[in-house]
Formats: sequence, structure tokens, C-alpha cells
Amino acid sequence: MTHAFRRMTREMMNEIAHDYLIPDGTSSQDIKGRIQARSRFSEERPQEVTKRFLDSFDWSLYLEGVAVEERRDRGRHLLLWHDLRTDAAPCVQDIRDAPGFAWDLPPGPLRERVQPVLGVRRLLSLVEVRSRVQTLRLLNDDDKTVARLSLEESRFNDPSREREGPLALRLRLTPVKGYEDAFHETAQALDRDLGLEYARTPVFLEALAACGRRPGDYSSGLDYHLDPDKRADATTKEILLGLLDTLEANIEGTKANLDSEFLHDLRVATRRMRSGLTQIKGVFAPDIVEDYKERFAWVQQITGPVRDLDVYLLDFGGYQKGLPLPLQPHLEPLRGFLFAQYEQAQKAMVRELGSAKFRHLLKAWRVFLEAPVPERSALPNATRAVKIVADERIWRMYRRVRKEGRAIMPDSPAPELHELRKSCKKLRYLLEFFQSLYSKQDVRGLIKLLKVLLDNLGGFQDLAVQADHLRDMAQRMRDEDRADTDTLLTMGVLVGDLLNRQQRARVEFAEIFEKFDRKPNRDLFRSLFAPESESRKDS
Amino acid sequence: MRIIGVYNIKGGVGKTATAINVAYLAAGEGNRTLVWDLDPQAAATYYFRVKPKVKGGGKALVRGKRELDSVVKGTDFENLDLLPADFSFRNMDLVLEDAKKPTKQLTRLLKPLSEEYDYIFLDCPPSISLVSENIFRAADALLVPMIPTTLSERTLHQLLDFLDGHASLSELRVMPFFSMVDRRKRLHTDLVQQLPESYPSMLATSIPYASEIERMGLHRMPLPAYAPSNRAAGAYRALWEEVKAVL
Repeated sequence: MTHAFRRMTREMMNEIAHDYLIPDGTSSQDIKGRIQARSRFSEERPQEVTKRFLDSFDWSLYLEGVAVEERRDRGRHLLLWHDLRTDAAPCVQDIRDAPGFAWDLPPGPLRERVQPVLGVRRLLSLVEVRSRVQTLRLLNDDDKTVARLSLEESRFNDPSREREGPLALRLRLTPVKGYEDAFHETAQALDRDLGLEYARTPVFLEALAACGRRPGDYSSGLDYHLDPDKRADATTKEILLGLLDTLEANIEGTKANLDSEFLHDLRVATRRMRSGLTQIKGVFAPDIVEDYKERFAWVQQITGPVRDLDVYLLDFGGYQKGLPLPLQPHLEPLRGFLFAQYEQAQKAMVRELGSAKFRHLLKAWRVFLEAPVPERSALPNATRAVKIVADERIWRMYRRVRKEGRAIMPDSPAPELHELRKSCKKLRYLLEFFQSLYSKQDVRGLIKLLKVLLDNLGGFQDLAVQADHLRDMAQRMRDEDRADTDTLLTMGVLVGDLLNRQQRARVEFAEIFEKFDRKPNRDLFRSLFAPESESRKDS
Repeated sequence: MRIIGVYNIKGGVGKTATAINVAYLAAGEGNRTLVWDLDPQAAATYYFRVKPKVKGGGKALVRGKRELDSVVKGTDFENLDLLPADFSFRNMDLVLEDAKKPTKQLTRLLKPLSEEYDYIFLDCPPSISLVSENIFRAADALLVPMIPTTLSERTLHQLLDFLDGHASLSELRVMPFFSMVDRRKRLHTDLVQQLPESYPSMLATSIPYASEIERMGLHRMPLPAYAPSNRAAGAYRALWEEVKAVL
């Protein structure tokens, strides 16, 4: 038995408190009176406790079965990690400042738990619960505390939605170590004699429900449940509307720069939207497609510089650590330069995202997507069943990827790899849009396969772009007298390192593509998407 | 986790009062805290209203028949637990002698608790014995309460000599401080002035002689719990602040 496991079981055996719900109409005085009739207890002074429940915008903690709580209790400021799946005693850490990013938390067991789940996201406040807690210490014949009962009268508050109100009165029975018998006797009395009901829902979820929030109500992932026989134009609108919702959900967080993922998700939704618009062909009038394709390209353009800087800043520590130790401090002026640029770029982006042009674009796009499709259409795919159109589009794009990939030789120029990457992305998005029309397991496997290929191609291209960009920055820093010789040389080493990595990605490509292009994968693509006439041909 | 032994070769110098008052203050700050009452007189156990009984006695603990954690009792105070004393602890030396590596048994026993607690206070029996040597090895620091008398100086000297003679104990931080100081006694005030010159590791805080400390036995709880504004309670708070700063 590992030490951690032993500790966990010990916590489970010893420390699980029982929560009971007090029925409506019963006051804390009633409950106190009924307990008094059975056991001796000593009353502590009531305490005011404020709990703020936190999660990232995409509910990463909740999806891991965790609730993180910031608590103020008797002058202490704490962060607690509750495992919602096991009911184990929470992991607690003292904090000084309001929690935000995992890397800003004080080092300790809680940060170690939060960091891998939260990643680069910021903890945001979901709901606040203020409680008045009255603790009764149950006593034995020596006047020794053998169990604790806490009556909790709570109110929830969600300032962002202006919702506020009472929660159910709760009674919490907490064991005292070494006095398990007293705990079980009291639990039995509460269950059987007082007829109290267990609180099955943690207060966190009760408070969320009370302010009308559904946990997990945002995800950047695509999870459509499409009807294979529905018209292709209507289905395409359904897909694009989902993406528009995602884009809009991320605007405020992007403008406030809460964390870098808001902008990332906004950009991914935009890219997917453009891809859906242009790749699901023959469902909308060409002028509509052309118009929105251009207008959303503008969105990519105004958000690009900040995203690039985000990537640099997120990777900065890694870049620095990758350098020989004596060179590492010389990279610092670059960080300062990036920050200065960031501020400017962010301001410019916020201006554009607040512009009438942006507002009108989203509004017009929504009007178009929400309008019913015409009964009849001259467009070739508009009224066909979506499954047929999806088969055709995916099959065609897959064949293009295969053809382009097979044509790449060790000495092929970089633009050819870039073209292949674009085709792979289009194929991936099509698979993601339409995955519910096929066997989930099969499509997920293919998406995973593509992801490996895309990572390689992305690495190849992004590293080259970064190397170029760094060179430009070095030039500008020199012109503006913001870098001395050491810094420029260190940036040179970094460029060299990036180009080496790029070279490695180029060498690895052949093997990765070969795996993608193996017979079982080819057969799977064929069986899922190829038309009848081609289904027997060997690829 | 930090392990702090509260120790003096002499008895009746305020060891137990120090252990439980300081542990109470540590727990009040949210630190998960344990007091292990190693003294068969079981005074700390009595103060916390716990029965001085460990099933199987010290032998069961040392021989691994009973995990330390399974005999821990929660006290009346949150975050503060007690490992009660047992009358069999008077024979602890004999039990330890029979074990392998007799001076490292306590270290071994405390190891599994390192993730459970932030601070462990060992309320040690007086005398210098195999139990004391175990404590010296297990602890990060020794808090040594001493009444300002010439005899006390002698015992401090004995302790420091003993530690000097064991290279493996050179890391142990020794923190003597004055306890039960009676300002009306000339000898006390003189020694409080003079001794720190010879012993630079001496803490600046002194605990006064106070009848309120003696009343802990009536209240059966730590002094700052029933008389938070008492002068002696303030002295314990200052002592704890100083200990934290040194650690």
C-alpha cells in the first residue's frame, strides 16, 4: 500500500463529515432543542464564514470532479480543494491574495493539485456563499469533545447575474479523531430518531443551481448531435451557430484579458467557422460565402498579433531554460520588449473588438444563420441529406491529403508542407463537425491520427515563423537600442535552436505520414466515407 | 512537518504547560498540530481530558503492532490532536533497548505522520535516557524551559555537553528559555540578565511565574483558551512567534 493511498484511506475512514438537510419550516433553534434533549453539548460563538467557489471558464476543475473554494473564516484566508467524487477531507492551504493563476498560488500541496488541471487558465468566481455557523461540541462525562455539530445558515450571491437568496439550512456532523463510536451514535440518532435527510448535493452545486448556473455550460469542444437525413444547408447553419455562440462567449474574457485561452478559443471558433463555411460546399450562395469568409479573415487578422505574443510569453520560460545557463539572463530584455508590445497590441485589439464593424458582423451573421432555409434551392448540396454531403466532402479532402502527403519528398520546398497542413486542418474540422454521423470510436481514432500529423506539420511551420519573427524583433530591439550585444547573441542562439527543432520535425515527417497512410487507416477512411463505386478499389 | 521536543533533564520546570500552550497557538493559526505525551505522568493527556491509555502500551507502538495514527485522539480544539500517554511509558527504555537501532525508533514511528501534521510537539519525560536520545534524533528543535537557578544552568550545560559528544545530533537546534520567572526573586532577575551572555541561543522571551498557569489543571485546557488576555498567555504567544522566527 503506498503512503498516499494509506493516507487517503485514513482520511476516508476518519474524517468524513456527514451533511444533513434540515426540512423547511424547522429553525436552528428547533434542531438545537431536539439535540439538547438527547446529548450534552457546549455552544461555540457563531462564526461568519464566506466561501467563494472558483473554476476556470471551461469548468476544468468541475470536469475533474473537484470544487475549489476560497474561504474567509475567523481572520484566515484559505484555499480548499474538495474532491467531489470521494468526499475525502479537503486539502487546505493558507493564501494571501485572491487566487487567479495556478503559478501565482503559494507553493504547496494545493498548488500541486490545481496546476495540472487548471493549466494556463485563470480561476474565476462562480458563486459566493455566506454562512452563519453555530458549532455545538458534544461532550462525554469528562466534558471532552467527542463530536461536533455545526448548523449552517447560508445565502448565495452571484453579483455577475445579480442573483441572491437563501440556501437550505444544513447540519454538519464532524467526527473527532479517536471517538468514532460517539460519531456513529450521533449519526444514528440524527438519521433514525430525528429523521434528518442526508444532503446528497454539496453546497457548491446547490448554490450554483440556485443562481441558475449549469456546471459545464461552456466547452470549446464540438459536440453536435446531427440528424443524418436533415438538409445539409440547415445542418451547416446549426454547426455554424454553435461556433458563433462559442466565439461570442469568449469576447468579454478576451477584452478583459482574463487569460490567454479566451482569445485562443475565440480564434479557433472563427477558424472553424471559416472552414465550415468554405468546406461544406454548395449549401450557401457563393456571394454569402465569399463575403463572410473575408469578414472573418479580418477577425483573424485583428486578433493574430496578441495571440502570437501570448504564445511567446507562455513559452518564454521554456525558451529560457533551454539555453545554456550563462546565457539565460540575457534573454530578459526580450521579455520586457514582448510585454511592451503586448500592451499595445492588446489595446488595439480591444478597440477593434469593441468597434461597430465587429458588432455588425456578428449581428448580421447571426441573422443569416438563424433565418430559416429556403424551401427550394438551386444550390447543388443545399437540400441533400447532410450525411451524403459529409461523406463526399470528407472523402474528397482525405484524398487530397493523401495525394499531397505522398508527393512530399525529403527535398520538397516548405510551401508544399504548408499546403498539406492546410488540407489536414480542413479534414480535421470536417471530421469534427460531422463526427456524430459516424461511429464515435472510428472518427475519434482518425481525428487522433490527424492530430499527430498536424502537430508535426504545425511544429515545422510555427518554428520557422517564430525564428523569422525573433529575427525581426532582434532587428527592432537593436534599432530602438533595447538590446545589447549579449542579448542579440542570445537571441541568435534561440533562433538556432528553433531552426534545429524545425529540422528535426522535417525529418520526422516521413515516418509520421507513413503511419497515417498505412493500410488499416486507408481502409477505415474508405469504409466510412467512400461512395459505393469506390468502396472496392484498393487505395 | 516540524518536530519540536519540549525537554529538560529536570522535572517541574513547565515542560507540559509549554508544550500544550504553544501547540494550541500553532493549531489556532490553522497548522495541523499533534502533541505526543511521552511522559508516563500523563499531565498533557489530563489537560486535554483524554484517558491516559494506549492499547498494548508503548510496546505495541514500538513493535509496530499498532500504528501511531490509530491511537491519536482529537482534542477540544480544531487542528489539535493528542497522542495520549500510557503508564507503560515508564518502561519505554527497556522496550527501546530490545528494538533494532534503539536510538532511531521514535524517528521511524513519526515518519508516517509527516504528511498529516505541520507541527508535532513532544512532551518529554525528565531525565536523560534512551527515550531522550530518541527524541533528540527525531526532533528538528528542542525547546528547553528552565527556571533561572544555578542548578538549571548546570543541567543545561549537561545537555549541551551530551549533544556536543554526538556528531549525529549537531543539526539539532536547541532553544533554551526562562520559565516560571519570579521577578520578586533577586536570583531570578540576575540570572535572566546574565545567562544569555553565556548561551547566545537563549530565546528572548521569558514565561513569568503565574498562578493562572497553575490553574490549567482546574480548567483542563490550554491557558490562552480560557485566559487569552492573561500576561502569561501573552508570553506564550511571544514565545511561539520567536520559535517560528528561529525555525
